[in-house]
Amino acid sequence: MTTTSDRVVVIEHLTKRFGEFTAVEDLSLTVHRGQILGFIGPNGAGKTTTISVLVGLARPTSGSASIAGADCSRETHRIKQLVGYMPDVFGSYDNMRVREYLDFFGAAYGIARTERRKRIQEVLEITNAEWMQDRFVESLSHGMKQRIGIARTLLHDPEVVILDEPANGLDPSARIEMREILLRLAENGKTLIVTSHILPELARICNQVAIITHGRLRAAGTLEEIMARVSQERTIEIQLSSGAPLEEAVRLVTDFSGNPDAVHPSEAESMVRLRTNRSEEDLGSLLKTLVSGGVPVTQFREVAADLEDAFLSVTATPVSD
Amino acid sequence: MGAILERELLSLFRTRRAFAIQAGVAVACLILVALRWPQGAQVDLAGMRSREVFILFGYALLSAVVLLVPSFPASSIVRERQQRTLVLLLHSPLSSSAVYFGKLAATLGFVVVLIFLTVPAAAACHAMGGISLTGQLLPLYAVMLVLAVQLGALGLWVSSHARTPDSAMRITYGAVLVLVLFTMIPHFFLQGTQSSAATGAFWLRFVSPIPAVMELLGHRDIGQRTAGGAEYPVATYLVSAVLMTVVLAVLTTRRLSFRMFDAPRSQGLVTDQRSLLQRVFRRFAFLVDPQRRKSEIGPWTNPVMIKEFRSRQFGRLHWLLRLVSACAVISLALTWATTLGSADWGVETIGGIIVVMQMALIVLITPGLAAGLISGELESGGWKLLRMTPMSAGVILRGKLLSVSWTMLLILLATLPGYLVMVWINPLVSEQVRQVVISLVLTAVFSIVLSTTVSSFFRRTSAATVASYVVLLVICAGTLLFWLGRDAPFGHATVEGALKINPLAAALSVIRTPGFAIYRLIPANWWILGTLTVLLLLLLSLRIRILMAPD
Repeated sequence: MTTTSDRVVVIEHLTKRFGEFTAVEDLSLTVHRGQILGFIGPNGAGKTTTISVLVGLARPTSGSASIAGADCSRETHRIKQLVGYMPDVFGSYDNMRVREYLDFFGAAYGIARTERRKRIQEVLEITNAEWMQDRFVESLSHGMKQRIGIARTLLHDPEVVILDEPANGLDPSARIEMREILLRLAENGKTLIVTSHILPELARICNQVAIITHGRLRAAGTLEEIMARVSQERTIEIQLSSGAPLEEAVRLVTDFSGNPDAVHPSEAESMVRLRTNRSEEDLGSLLKTLVSGGVPVTQFREVAADLEDAFLSVTATPVSD
Repeated sequence: MGAILERELLSLFRTRRAFAIQAGVAVACLILVALRWPQGAQVDLAGMRSREVFILFGYALLSAVVLLVPSFPASSIVRERQQRTLVLLLHSPLSSSAVYFGKLAATLGFVVVLIFLTVPAAAACHAMGGISLTGQLLPLYAVMLVLAVQLGALGLWVSSHARTPDSAMRITYGAVLVLVLFTMIPHFFLQGTQSSAATGAFWLRFVSPIPAVMELLGHRDIGQRTAGGAEYPVATYLVSAVLMTVVLAVLTTRRLSFRMFDAPRSQGLVTDQRSLLQRVFRRFAFLVDPQRRKSEIGPWTNPVMIKEFRSRQFGRLHWLLRLVSACAVISLALTWATTLGSADWGVETIGGIIVVMQMALIVLITPGLAAGLISGELESGGWKLLRMTPMSAGVILRGKLLSVSWTMLLILLATLPGYLVMVWINPLVSEQVRQVVISLVLTAVFSIVLSTTVSSFFRRTSAATVASYVVLLVICAGTLLFWLGRDAPFGHATVEGALKINPLAAALSVIRTPGFAIYRLIPANWWILGTLTVLLLLLLSLRIRILMAPD
């Protein structure tokens, strides 16, 4: 059970307009302590604008946002201490080694010299980047830079860490490393807000998801809650043996479903996919019908809906005025 | 080559910079002719007025080509390299020479358009009479075209070696300044003496287009204090320019290959990991070893200032120390030579050399250091990170200004020993030296604040660097055009008025350098610079507050 004091990030009826253009409209969202919020949406949905308001880089047109009780537009000095923000652009400096780079930001945050030295060592350990400390920042690969970006974000030990597209452009192994780092941070009690286009990555680490399109929040909650809300139908895959009579299988499945649009045959895969909200018992009877009808079924399985399905389902629905 | 030329011209003419340049040139020509067009129904049969307009027109054209043309080729190759489009070009069936000449032709195309914009003004000069079409007007255009190709070749060569567009801009403008102005300085001081150095200096100045242009405008040789001069300054310049262009073209074409990209990433080796022998050697070679592991930023130190010292590409400490040492040695050597009587120069001449040297350093180095202070952060995304730190706008601005101020102070101090020896030789000049030092300090402060303010208005360091150089050069070199026309068309009062804004001229007048001693520019110049500095500082503070404020 969560209490009010657990609510670390609170956004209430946030609207941000740039002239005629509305980037974010009436957005309300809450993130609790220790949670990882996956903030997803297509390009131009308003994710970065929302984050800019949260970190004090932009003022809301109306509504409010606060982090750990500090108002994001009025108490920007406190926000800077409470939040560690990694923008989508790295922001490197030429001729600077990783340790010098972190040292500069540590000093900019007013961390005392001895404490800073210790803290740099800690954040390099957290991000598995100790071996990079003498490398020049501009010579690092994208994945390495992302790790240093997170290390920089953690320097002043913020309560909330906001990462804008941290997995963007990373290869699979770097993505796995990034995922592990983020999970480690959550274990250490940090509250994380992560935006990403790579939805399977988010699905693996987030315990809260918020989907935003055209500046409006379309769905928010745990992954399971969103799935339940956006996907009432299940997808059943019926795999046939090669050379099996596909037409007969399609006929039987369509008779069962009563809706030809819900049946999707694939001759290349020898497979029939069915979208349905029928019960387990009904599905059992369908399998029985297929087998008794002479259709050689090799697999009959439910495809688990994922974040990608939820995202596509939400974004496909037109925005109501 | 055609494809490259078309693309280059399209992207060049689409820039706001190109439009501003063309509009500026057209308006300047219009004003020039309108101001000098004969009034009333009187006809000037001697063509005096026409020649005066032509002189102004010629110098304005020269300034426009020298100041505006290098910025396009200087960023051309390095920007393509950064954007990875150079790899695509080199991977295409186009030869490296086709790529090179396409880019060079685009520069020339731009200049041709600029020249067409000046044709009405030139035609007006010719219509007023007194100007020879084949003897003056057409050769002037020929010199301008050759100069444009020469500067284009120089810019492309620098661009093929530079790592970033802004460093390419700095190096190119530095090289242009050396080519156009510095090549004439040795002759100015050595003329009248009989030595191989004097002969070398005599020929060296023809590398610059200025003597050729002066010849065509009927001004004879620049800086010439005694009679005599080259028989064919125009032809000499054209030959030297063509030779230089060919050499640069060959070098750049050879450079345009995949070898440009064939370099490993730095592994970040620090001096502390090297052997004792290597560490000792580096200590002597660098004085301040750039590869050593640095300690943490200390308390009571502005972190932004330290960050600037550590991250700047241009003006890193080990190079500055070498520069400072060279300045100190040169200024002492010059003064020493006079003391021993081995050089037949007065204290004024020595002072003039030192002043020119210091001013050149200020004008060359300051935009390189300060023009990227804000624009560099905006370009790299660092500004967003700075805004996220608890540092105030004042701390950030102070750190940035201090990082350049300390450097400039170091450079100014380097030449002070020369002045001290001068005062020791002739104590009567102590007041002049004091005034020169004030002028230099004011110039340095003004240049820093000007370049930083310009930087706050741009999101690209290369554009900010060019804008800063152009403004500073207009002030320090552009106003000298009035001095060049000091007998005609400009009178004493006009020249003095124009030079009052020029700190170089002010310092030269104080030190009684021949040609400048007759003008009274101090303290008016101090007031002008001081007022401009304060105004710019206010504007800069406002810009920083705007940039720091939430969107």
